[in-house]
Amino acid sequence: MLTCIEVSTLVSTGGLDDAPLMRKLGVVLHLAMCRHCRAFRRQVAAIGRAVRELNAAYEAEPPSGFEAAVVQRVLR
Amino acid sequence: MPKLDQRLLDQLRRRDSEALHAIVDEHARRLYRAARGMGFTVVEAEDLSQDVLVTFIESLDRFEGRAEVATWLFGILHHKARERYRSRAREELNDPIETVFEAQFDERGSWIRPPVAPDRAASARQARDAIRECVDGLPPLQREVFQLRQVEELSAAEAGNVLAQTVTHIGVLLHRARMRLRACLERKGWMY
Repeated sequence: MLTCIEVSTLVSTGGLDDAPLMRKLGVVLHLAMCRHCRAFRRQVAAIGRAVRELNAAYEAEPPSGFEAAVVQRVLR
Repeated sequence: MPKLDQRLLDQLRRRDSEALHAIVDEHARRLYRAARGMGFTVVEAEDLSQDVLVTFIESLDRFEGRAEVATWLFGILHHKARERYRSRAREELNDPIETVFEAQFDERGSWIRPPVAPDRAASARQARDAIRECVDGLPPLQREVFQLRQVEELSAAEAGNVLAQTVTHIGVLLHRARMRLRACLERKGWMY
Protein backbone atom coordinates (compact mmCIF):
# COMPACT_ATOMS: atom_id res chain seq x y z
CA MET A 1 0.00 0.00 0.00
CA LEU A 2 1.45 3.35 -1.05
CA THR A 3 1.71 6.11 1.55
CA CYS A 4 0.47 9.70 1.17
CA ILE A 5 3.99 11.06 0.76
CA GLU A 6 4.72 8.54 -2.02
CA VAL A 7 1.48 9.30 -3.85
CA SER A 8 1.78 13.08 -3.56
CA THR A 9 5.41 12.94 -4.72
CA LEU A 10 4.40 10.88 -7.76
CA VAL A 11 1.60 13.35 -8.52
CA SER A 12 3.90 16.35 -8.14
CA THR A 13 6.93 15.03 -10.07
CA GLY A 14 4.76 13.87 -12.98
CA GLY A 15 6.44 10.49 -12.47
CA LEU A 16 3.13 8.71 -12.79
CA ASP A 17 3.25 8.92 -16.61
CA ASP A 18 6.20 6.52 -16.83
CA ALA A 19 5.38 4.43 -13.76
CA PRO A 20 4.75 0.66 -14.09
CA LEU A 21 1.12 -0.42 -14.31
CA MET A 22 1.03 -1.83 -10.77
CA ARG A 23 2.30 1.45 -9.34
CA LYS A 24 -0.29 3.40 -11.34
CA LEU A 25 -2.99 1.10 -9.99
CA GLY A 26 -1.66 1.63 -6.48
CA VAL A 27 -1.94 5.39 -6.92
CA VAL A 28 -5.47 5.14 -8.33
CA LEU A 29 -6.53 2.98 -5.37
CA HIS A 30 -4.90 5.30 -2.86
CA LEU A 31 -6.54 8.36 -4.41
CA ALA A 32 -9.92 6.63 -4.35
CA MET A 33 -9.58 6.14 -0.61
CA CYS A 34 -7.67 9.24 0.51
CA ARG A 35 -9.44 12.62 0.32
CA HIS A 36 -6.31 14.41 1.52
CA CYS A 37 -4.26 13.24 -1.45
CA ARG A 38 -7.18 14.04 -3.76
CA ALA A 39 -7.19 17.57 -2.30
CA PHE A 40 -3.43 17.78 -2.89
CA ARG A 41 -3.88 16.67 -6.51
CA ARG A 42 -6.56 19.36 -6.96
CA GLN A 43 -4.18 21.96 -5.54
CA VAL A 44 -1.47 20.93 -8.04
CA ALA A 45 -4.03 21.11 -10.88
CA ALA A 46 -5.28 24.52 -9.70
CA ILE A 47 -1.75 25.93 -9.68
CA GLY A 48 -1.24 24.68 -13.24
CA ARG A 49 -4.55 26.19 -14.36
CA ALA A 50 -3.76 29.55 -12.81
CA VAL A 51 -0.33 29.72 -14.47
CA ARG A 52 -1.77 28.68 -17.84
CA GLU A 53 -4.35 31.48 -17.57
CA LEU A 54 -1.57 33.93 -16.76
CA ASN A 55 0.29 32.76 -19.85
CA ALA A 56 -2.79 33.04 -22.04
CA ALA A 57 -2.76 36.75 -21.22
CA TYR A 58 0.90 36.93 -22.30
CA GLU A 59 0.08 35.33 -25.64
CA ALA A 60 -2.34 38.14 -26.44
CA GLU A 61 0.24 40.87 -25.77
CA PRO A 62 2.13 41.16 -29.08
CA PRO A 63 0.53 43.58 -31.57
CA SER A 64 -1.07 42.30 -34.79
CA GLY A 65 2.05 43.03 -36.88
CA PHE A 66 4.26 40.91 -34.61
CA GLU A 67 4.58 37.91 -36.92
CA ALA A 68 5.27 40.10 -39.99
CA ALA A 69 8.02 41.90 -38.06
CA VAL A 70 9.61 38.55 -37.20
CA VAL A 71 9.62 37.51 -40.87
CA GLN A 72 11.17 40.86 -41.83
CA ARG A 73 13.93 40.34 -39.27
CA VAL A 74 14.58 36.80 -40.51
CA LEU A 75 14.85 38.02 -44.10
CA ARG A 76 17.14 40.95 -43.20
CA MET B 1 4.22 17.74 -31.87
CA PRO B 2 4.67 18.11 -35.65
CA LYS B 3 7.97 17.36 -37.35
CA LEU B 4 9.23 19.41 -40.27
CA ASP B 5 8.78 17.65 -43.60
CA GLN B 6 11.64 17.69 -46.12
CA ARG B 7 9.78 19.95 -48.57
CA LEU B 8 9.17 22.67 -45.97
CA LEU B 9 12.74 22.28 -44.71
CA ASP B 10 14.09 22.87 -48.25
CA GLN B 11 11.81 25.90 -48.68
CA LEU B 12 13.02 27.37 -45.39
CA ARG B 13 16.64 26.86 -46.37
CA ARG B 14 15.91 28.87 -49.53
CA ARG B 15 14.24 31.55 -47.31
CA ASP B 16 10.97 30.99 -49.14
CA SER B 17 8.61 33.71 -47.91
CA GLU B 18 5.52 31.51 -47.66
CA ALA B 19 7.38 28.84 -45.69
CA LEU B 20 8.85 31.47 -43.36
CA HIS B 21 5.41 32.92 -42.70
CA ALA B 22 4.08 29.43 -41.94
CA ILE B 23 6.79 28.64 -39.39
CA VAL B 24 6.63 32.09 -37.79
CA ASP B 25 2.83 32.04 -37.58
CA GLU B 26 2.98 28.67 -35.88
CA HIS B 27 5.71 29.34 -33.35
CA ALA B 28 6.46 33.05 -32.76
CA ARG B 29 3.64 33.78 -30.32
CA ARG B 30 4.27 30.56 -28.41
CA LEU B 31 7.96 31.47 -28.04
CA TYR B 32 6.97 34.96 -26.92
CA ARG B 33 4.60 33.47 -24.31
CA ALA B 34 7.33 31.12 -23.04
CA ALA B 35 9.80 34.01 -22.76
CA ARG B 36 7.26 36.04 -20.79
CA GLY B 37 6.54 32.99 -18.63
CA MET B 38 10.27 32.75 -17.91
CA GLY B 39 10.21 36.29 -16.54
CA PHE B 40 11.29 38.48 -19.46
CA THR B 41 9.63 41.87 -20.02
CA VAL B 42 7.36 42.63 -23.01
CA VAL B 43 10.23 44.21 -24.96
CA GLU B 44 12.74 41.50 -24.02
CA ALA B 45 10.30 38.70 -24.88
CA GLU B 46 9.54 40.23 -28.28
CA ASP B 47 13.23 40.57 -29.09
CA LEU B 48 14.08 37.14 -27.69
CA SER B 49 11.38 35.29 -29.64
CA GLN B 50 12.51 37.02 -32.86
CA ASP B 51 16.12 36.20 -32.06
CA VAL B 52 15.25 32.52 -31.56
CA LEU B 53 13.55 32.27 -34.95
CA VAL B 54 16.42 34.07 -36.71
CA THR B 55 18.88 31.60 -35.13
CA PHE B 56 16.63 28.69 -36.09
CA ILE B 57 16.59 29.74 -39.75
CA GLU B 58 20.34 30.36 -39.71
CA SER B 59 21.02 26.97 -38.17
CA LEU B 60 18.73 24.98 -40.48
CA ASP B 61 21.71 23.18 -42.01
CA ARG B 62 22.29 21.50 -38.64
CA PHE B 63 18.60 20.79 -38.08
CA GLU B 64 17.50 17.26 -38.86
CA GLY B 65 13.90 17.09 -39.92
CA ARG B 66 13.39 14.15 -37.58
CA ALA B 67 13.59 16.43 -34.54
CA GLU B 68 10.52 18.23 -33.22
CA VAL B 69 10.55 21.87 -34.34
CA ALA B 70 9.14 23.13 -31.04
CA THR B 71 11.72 21.20 -29.00
CA TRP B 72 14.52 22.61 -31.19
CA LEU B 73 13.13 26.15 -30.83
CA PHE B 74 12.73 25.85 -27.04
CA GLY B 75 16.33 24.61 -26.89
CA ILE B 76 17.50 27.78 -28.68
CA LEU B 77 15.28 29.86 -26.37
CA HIS B 78 16.82 28.18 -23.33
CA HIS B 79 20.38 29.00 -24.47
CA LYS B 80 19.53 32.58 -25.37
CA ALA B 81 17.69 33.08 -22.09
CA ARG B 82 20.75 31.82 -20.19
CA GLU B 83 22.95 34.32 -22.04
CA ARG B 84 20.61 37.11 -21.00
CA TYR B 85 20.24 36.29 -17.32
CA ARG B 86 22.59 38.60 -15.46
CA SER B 87 23.16 36.03 -12.77
CA ARG B 88 21.86 32.54 -12.77
CA ALA B 89 21.79 30.85 -9.40
CA ARG B 90 23.01 27.28 -9.49
CA GLU B 91 20.38 24.67 -8.90
CA GLU B 92 21.27 23.17 -5.54
CA LEU B 93 21.40 19.41 -5.11
CA ASN B 94 19.42 19.71 -1.89
CA ASP B 95 16.62 22.21 -2.07
CA PRO B 96 15.13 23.27 1.31
CA ILE B 97 11.63 23.17 -0.24
CA GLU B 98 11.88 19.35 -0.16
CA THR B 99 12.37 19.46 3.62
CA VAL B 100 9.32 21.75 3.86
CA PHE B 101 7.33 19.23 1.81
CA GLU B 102 8.51 16.20 3.79
CA ALA B 103 7.75 17.94 7.11
CA GLN B 104 4.06 17.79 6.20
CA PHE B 105 4.02 14.01 6.70
CA ASP B 106 4.38 11.86 9.84
CA GLU B 107 6.75 8.88 10.18
CA ARG B 108 4.20 6.61 8.48
CA GLY B 109 4.06 8.92 5.44
CA SER B 110 0.55 10.28 6.21
CA TRP B 111 -0.45 13.93 6.09
CA ILE B 112 -0.02 15.78 9.40
CA ARG B 113 -1.98 18.83 8.28
CA PRO B 114 -4.07 17.66 5.32
CA PRO B 115 -4.35 19.96 2.28
CA VAL B 116 -7.66 21.61 1.46
CA ALA B 117 -8.97 21.38 -2.10
CA PRO B 118 -9.17 24.89 -3.62
CA ASP B 119 -12.50 26.46 -4.51
CA ARG B 120 -12.45 26.16 -8.28
CA ALA B 121 -14.85 29.04 -8.92
CA ALA B 122 -12.93 31.54 -6.84
CA SER B 123 -9.46 30.29 -7.64
CA ALA B 124 -8.29 31.56 -11.00
CA ARG B 125 -9.64 35.10 -10.82
CA GLN B 126 -8.39 35.84 -7.31
CA ALA B 127 -5.11 34.05 -7.71
CA ARG B 128 -3.81 35.93 -10.78
CA ASP B 129 -1.70 38.49 -8.92
CA ALA B 130 -0.65 36.07 -6.22
CA ILE B 131 0.47 33.44 -8.72
CA ARG B 132 2.41 36.02 -10.77
CA GLU B 133 4.40 37.03 -7.68
CA CYS B 134 4.97 33.41 -6.68
CA VAL B 135 6.17 32.41 -10.18
CA ASP B 136 8.57 35.37 -10.10
CA GLY B 137 10.06 33.88 -6.94
CA LEU B 138 11.00 30.54 -8.57
CA PRO B 139 14.67 29.78 -9.28
CA PRO B 140 15.29 30.12 -13.08
CA LEU B 141 15.69 26.43 -13.92
CA GLN B 142 12.64 25.40 -11.89
CA ARG B 143 10.70 28.16 -13.61
CA GLU B 144 11.77 26.92 -17.05
CA VAL B 145 10.83 23.33 -16.22
CA PHE B 146 7.46 24.45 -14.89
CA GLN B 147 6.87 26.55 -18.03
CA LEU B 148 7.83 23.76 -20.42
CA ARG B 149 5.96 20.97 -18.63
CA GLN B 150 2.90 22.78 -17.32
CA VAL B 151 2.26 25.51 -19.90
CA GLU B 152 3.93 24.33 -23.10
CA GLU B 153 2.90 20.74 -22.31
CA LEU B 154 6.21 19.17 -23.29
CA SER B 155 6.79 15.63 -22.04
CA ALA B 156 9.46 15.07 -19.39
CA ALA B 157 11.72 13.61 -22.12
CA GLU B 158 11.23 16.64 -24.39
CA ALA B 159 11.86 19.07 -21.54
CA GLY B 160 14.95 17.02 -20.67
CA ASN B 161 16.24 17.41 -24.25
CA VAL B 162 15.65 21.16 -24.20
CA LEU B 163 17.34 21.74 -20.84
CA ALA B 164 19.98 18.97 -21.05
CA GLN B 165 18.64 17.30 -17.90
CA THR B 166 17.65 13.70 -17.18
CA VAL B 167 13.96 12.80 -17.11
CA THR B 168 14.31 12.03 -13.39
CA HIS B 169 15.79 15.44 -12.66
CA ILE B 170 13.06 17.16 -14.68
CA GLY B 171 10.59 15.45 -12.31
CA VAL B 172 12.54 16.65 -9.28
CA LEU B 173 12.64 20.23 -10.61
CA LEU B 174 8.92 20.18 -11.46
CA HIS B 175 8.15 18.90 -7.94
CA ARG B 176 10.30 21.63 -6.37
CA ALA B 177 8.63 24.32 -8.50
CA ARG B 178 5.15 23.09 -7.62
CA MET B 179 5.90 22.82 -3.91
CA ARG B 180 7.52 26.25 -3.89
CA LEU B 181 4.44 27.74 -5.61
CA ARG B 182 2.15 25.92 -3.20
CA ALA B 183 4.09 27.16 -0.16
CA CYS B 184 4.08 30.71 -1.56
CA LEU B 185 0.32 30.62 -2.22
CA GLU B 186 -0.20 29.24 1.28
CA ARG B 187 1.70 32.20 2.74
CA LYS B 188 -0.53 34.52 0.72
CA GLY B 189 -3.62 32.82 2.09
CA TRP B 190 -4.75 31.46 -1.27
CA MET B 191 -4.09 27.81 -0.60
CA TYR B 192 -4.45 25.83 2.65
